[in-house]
Amino acid sequence: MQKTKAINILISSWMLLILLSVIAIFLPTFIDNNNLYILSALMIVMIKGQQIVDVFMDLNNAPKLWRCLFLAYIVLLPIIIAGIYLM
Amino acid sequence: MTRSSIIIDLAEANIKDKRLPGDLAMWFFILAELTVFAIFFIGFAISEQLNPAMFSQGKDHLHPIAGLINTIALITSSFFVAFALRAMHKEQVKKSVLRLFFAKVFGTIYLAVKIWEYLSLFEQGISIETNTFFTLYFLITAFHLMHVLLGMVILVFIAHSIGQKKYTKNHNSGFEAGASYWHMVDLLWIILFPLIYVI
Repeated sequence: MQKTKAINILISSWMLLILLSVIAIFLPTFIDNNNLYILSALMIVMIKGQQIVDVFMDLNNAPKLWRCLFLAYIVLLPIIIAGIYLM
Repeated sequence: MTRSSIIIDLAEANIKDKRLPGDLAMWFFILAELTVFAIFFIGFAISEQLNPAMFSQGKDHLHPIAGLINTIALITSSFFVAFALRAMHKEQVKKSVLRLFFAKVFGTIYLAVKIWEYLSLFEQGISIETNTFFTLYFLITAFHLMHVLLGMVILVFIAHSIGQKKYTKNHNSGFEAGASYWHMVDLLWIILFPLIYVI
């Protein structure tokens, strides 16, 4: 039962990642404002990164320190990149 | 048994359940790789800010749809690796090997599209020496491509090891370490793709 749930989470995560990738490529057609466009693209990177770290890498079930390290990477790097582009 | 001792037991059980997949050394290696790529990505973003016109013209030569195909290929490949590992946890050896095969197929799609992208740029007379944008484009994407190639070799090795019954339900840390490396390749691409192709 629990293993079926884990596989359902994996499949849902894969579908979300594909959907977000398609949305990211068509963002310019929805958003005219360049700054908002950059922020949206980087926000999508954060969500996708969290899915890969927690579901694919299975760090959701790892010691907190390791999970936090990887989540920090996927949050801080886009923030730094956004800072550079929006300066 | 008091209520507080039950809570402590549950907390201890929870701590014991928290386990890092694969080898600790592989996770340090992954962290080192992520750091190197972070420097590349930040360097790319700063260079773009210093010369926005050149980078904008350079991006016009790239194929975002090819980038999207590669994103879908890598995500799907990573999904099949995670799916194969779940099968191994249930000792479903055949399912695990089949899912790894699909992971390698999608990895090969990535390689084919990337090579096509490089060849189409070369046909336009664009090379690593064209300008700063293409120097960084070729350096970062080729460095990532090398990681994909290494990841493919690791996947082949894992499938071979499964065939030799080296992994069991409870002893598969080599598989987990290799899978973690492949997911890192995917993680890097989802940052690389918007940075170089989209933004």
